[in-house]
Amino acid sequence: MRVPWTWLKEYVDLDWTVEETCERLTHAGVKVENLVYEKLDLSGVVSALVEDVSTHPARPDLKVGTVNTGEGRYTVVSGAPGFEKGNLVLLAVPSSRLPGGITIETRSVAGVESQGMVVCSNEILAGEEPRPGEDIILLPPGTPLGIPAQELFTLDDWVIELDLTVNFSHCLSIMGVAIEASALSGKPLKLPEVYRNWDWAGPYGSRRPADDPDVEGEWKVELPDPDLCPRYVGKVVREVRTAYAPIEVERRLMLAGMRPISAIVDATNYVMLECGQPLHAFDADRLEGKTIWARRARQGETIETLDGEERRLEEGMLVIADARGPVAVAGVMGGSRTEVSAGTRNVLLESAFFAPIPTRQTYRKLRLRTEASARFEKTVDPTAQPVAIERAAELIAKYTGGVPERGRTDANLMEPLKRSIPFSMRVVKRTLGAPIPIEKCKEIFESLHFAVGPVKKEGDFETMDVTVPPRRVDIKEEIDLCEEVARIYGYDKFEAKPLTPAVPGGPPNKEYVWFEKMKDFLVSMGGREVVTTSLLSPDDLLAMGWDESDGRSKGVPLMDPLSSSESVLRTSLLPGLLKVVQRNQSVRMPGGFFWETGRVFFPSREELPLEAVQLGLCMYGTLRESTWVEGEAEATFFRLKGVVETLLRLMGIEASFLPGASMPMHPGISARVVAGHSTVGEVGELHPLVKKNLGLIGNCVLAWFSVEAILAMAKEKRFTPVSKFMPVERDIAVVVDASVPADSVVKVVKETARDLRSVTVFDVYDKPPVPEGKKSIALRLTYNPSDRTLTEEELSEDRERIVKALREAVGGEIRL
Amino acid sequence: MEKLGERALKEIEEATSLAALEEVRLKYLGKKGEVTGLLKTIGSLPKEERPAFGAKVNALREAIEGHLKEKTAFLERKALEERVKRETVDVTLPGNVPQVGSLHPLTKALREIVQIFYGMGFTVYESREAETDEMNFVKLNLAPGHPSRDAQETLYLTETTLLRTHTSPGQIRGMLDMKGKLPVRFIVPGRVYRRDQMDASHSPVFHQVEGLVIDRHITFEHLKGCFLEFARGFFGPETKIRLRPSYFPFTEPSAEIDVSCTICKGKGCPVCGRTGWLELSGAGMVHPNVIRNGGYDPDEVTGFAFGFGLDRAAMLKWGIDDLRVLFENDLRFLRQFEGI
Repeated sequence: MRVPWTWLKEYVDLDWTVEETCERLTHAGVKVENLVYEKLDLSGVVSALVEDVSTHPARPDLKVGTVNTGEGRYTVVSGAPGFEKGNLVLLAVPSSRLPGGITIETRSVAGVESQGMVVCSNEILAGEEPRPGEDIILLPPGTPLGIPAQELFTLDDWVIELDLTVNFSHCLSIMGVAIEASALSGKPLKLPEVYRNWDWAGPYGSRRPADDPDVEGEWKVELPDPDLCPRYVGKVVREVRTAYAPIEVERRLMLAGMRPISAIVDATNYVMLECGQPLHAFDADRLEGKTIWARRARQGETIETLDGEERRLEEGMLVIADARGPVAVAGVMGGSRTEVSAGTRNVLLESAFFAPIPTRQTYRKLRLRTEASARFEKTVDPTAQPVAIERAAELIAKYTGGVPERGRTDANLMEPLKRSIPFSMRVVKRTLGAPIPIEKCKEIFESLHFAVGPVKKEGDFETMDVTVPPRRVDIKEEIDLCEEVARIYGYDKFEAKPLTPAVPGGPPNKEYVWFEKMKDFLVSMGGREVVTTSLLSPDDLLAMGWDESDGRSKGVPLMDPLSSSESVLRTSLLPGLLKVVQRNQSVRMPGGFFWETGRVFFPSREELPLEAVQLGLCMYGTLRESTWVEGEAEATFFRLKGVVETLLRLMGIEASFLPGASMPMHPGISARVVAGHSTVGEVGELHPLVKKNLGLIGNCVLAWFSVEAILAMAKEKRFTPVSKFMPVERDIAVVVDASVPADSVVKVVKETARDLRSVTVFDVYDKPPVPEGKKSIALRLTYNPSDRTLTEEELSEDRERIVKALREAVGGEIRL
Repeated sequence: MEKLGERALKEIEEATSLAALEEVRLKYLGKKGEVTGLLKTIGSLPKEERPAFGAKVNALREAIEGHLKEKTAFLERKALEERVKRETVDVTLPGNVPQVGSLHPLTKALREIVQIFYGMGFTVYESREAETDEMNFVKLNLAPGHPSRDAQETLYLTETTLLRTHTSPGQIRGMLDMKGKLPVRFIVPGRVYRRDQMDASHSPVFHQVEGLVIDRHITFEHLKGCFLEFARGFFGPETKIRLRPSYFPFTEPSAEIDVSCTICKGKGCPVCGRTGWLELSGAGMVHPNVIRNGGYDPDEVTGFAFGFGLDRAAMLKWGIDDLRVLFENDLRFLRQFEGI
């Protein structure tokens, strides 16, 4: 909503500056988004007197006149009817500028030098040629000479741009904003007479004044669909002339964001901007019959709208129809067939109430959002239809010399409104907290033109009935009134009170603590947390190589996605992590270690998809390039596995790694991580095929975990006393078949050895002298019982036990 | 014997290296040394002279040994000093750098936020991302056809399910989980979705932090106090807040909360559009219907709620000017958050 400053001030005599007004409005919820000074690119156009006129010597259709600006006399050629001796006009003197970058210079018109140009409204406002039938601007007698056009009319003005929340539809009009400004400033509202007569601003809405003639209009109106249109007011204005609205009216429309068209259309738009009620004007002589229907469109009906588009109407859309068919899409746009044009002599005005939701549905389907539909969709004042039509008729009569019919047609099936809401001071105390007295509340309500009933005592609190004007469609219950009090009182006047601290808050649950710890562990191991989107393309999932039986192969689809690249929900964090690798390879980053936690989604038989929290890890390339002092660190399976092992160890989870994980991992260089008898995650090298499909280069390893599973298993470790004795180390190397997993060798040692503290694999060797098809695994055993130092004898006994067990369990032969 | 003594001491004095000193030791005290040789001659002396002679030789030996020891210590110290003097490294060469990871700025921001709210007795409630239309809209006073639904361009999964457009359904789920217990004080951090094209300030996927307090005697003034404490904790103790009337169907009265510009401290700069203020959060007193939908009696309790963009909060905190970088995960961006 654009509010021209001078227009606003016409209704409320503010002594604030425009900036201060913006500030006050914003702080009362009428949010000002922008304040702009709209300046016409206009100079050198001044008031002047036509002193004498004669016919052009060569062109009988033109006149040559002497025009006096008070500072000089100019010879001017013009064909305009108003260019007559004694008329006060606007002269664009030589070197003056008009909008659109036009410069007026002295020029020869059929042999006569014309020193400038007498101008019409269209030339001043738009820099365009006069419209059909448009005369030059004639100034009222007594206008001093030499005054610039900008000073004669308010052409340059501040415009307050509002960004209104949906509950502020009552501010979709200049007068609506004026009521707010009046309430905030205490300055009285000054409305045009017809609005005052109808008590437009009053607590009961517009009401017929006592002197309103009780006369039915000429046209009949039928409302077969009162759920879509419960009220339709029509009024005829006869014998209108083709005319244009006064320049100041046209300029106001422009400042408010609308284009001036013709006196009749401009009058309807002006009234809409003024009071918020959209109006439409039909050429009455082009309507068939004398009855108007506001009805649902029928199958196959079409209409050519004012913008020249042929539109197919859907059944159920509300249309305005005459005997022949639709003449307007109700509340959205009129039709070309009955459009007001230069030849229009009689006008039928429409002022109706169209239901908000159907209006919105209609303009959405037609993709045709207009100033009118923007107001209907927010619900217009259901009482303002007659007063708005009277105001429009008045303006049309003024601009065109037309004669409005007496009375009007008012088809009204609207339910009578009950707008009285009991208001108790209890709600103020409970909700707002601040000690606002009832007198203040009363004052606030009255400043907004609400009616306040007598104060009663109810229990501990005073109450009163508040009658809310029907234009305030946002106010439905007591709490809404409470908000009115708060916003006019001023949010800045409320104290900032701390919450009572004595409330047992956290500690957060165990899972949350572990979740955050897990992140710290990953950071401490060099991992970089990333955040990727949950919306993927089906191709992203396809690229992972999951077959149909894999639940991850098909993501939950979006019904109406923005694009196919964001059309399914992720089923895994791995596609997103691989995109991070792609991104970083594309900017030549040699390597990285990324991880992410987030939700993944699977289809389910329930209404809502299944959500699970995952941890994804990914390493690629060279994590650290070699330095003068150290070799490079590459992203390898065992590096990532080491991270995974450490993470699990830090979280107190015992896990084993079983060979072979699923796609997108390399089947031979990957493992399932099993803990507590179930797979909690996987770790492995990226499958070469997937790598190729994604255009990745170099080494890349991945892992994922079910966060829910590992957080549930995470546990704090207990302290165990440190042995007072020295640890003893013994190495043992065993040759086994190449296919025997190292893990099973370690397991045998762990199960057999006594007083063992730890065992680590420190070497694996499969070259001669180790026989073909065999490998040698070298283990370091650390013994450290808490009660003694082991003797050589004990150690060699243990060694024999281990050797025997290895031979039996894994066929291992001792090398060392 | 005196001469021998003097000679030995002189040679010790003159020895300049540990090797030379060893030679001296061998020359006098070695198996074939002169002093040892003297001792060997003791047998050829008359018996009564032997003790005196022995004592003399021993005294001589001890004297030489003493000098040797002293000189050895001296030379060793000198050798060490020389070695230390010789040994230097170019300390300007880089050290062995351990690999350091980093948290994403969104996690960092959220952790700070969570800490501040813990301090005010809040807990963290996590709620689902795929929601029903009922939870995301209807239970929050956004019946079908409500114009505010349009403002939240929604990504639907089916006719009745969607990706939550705000963390506010967490208010309802959280209250229902509390089963009528008081006080209700929690925040709901999480991911939300809108039908928005990605640009410098929009993303179809972004993050919010919702807060809810329900109790007896909670007023608008508590909302102001609570948010002020948060804003000061997060943006710094100088931070000011300002509340403006706004509209959300699930709060009444509703407010938009601005914080004093984190860049110019309220003086006015391009970041805040020269206003000195930054829009941060929606807020308000929880609408009675919403309290009821959460299983509480609006006649008994009141409450406030707020919700703000985590991404925006993080961007303001670290001066990030483009939302997209949060989701691009460029290493050059991520690295900057090491240790922050």
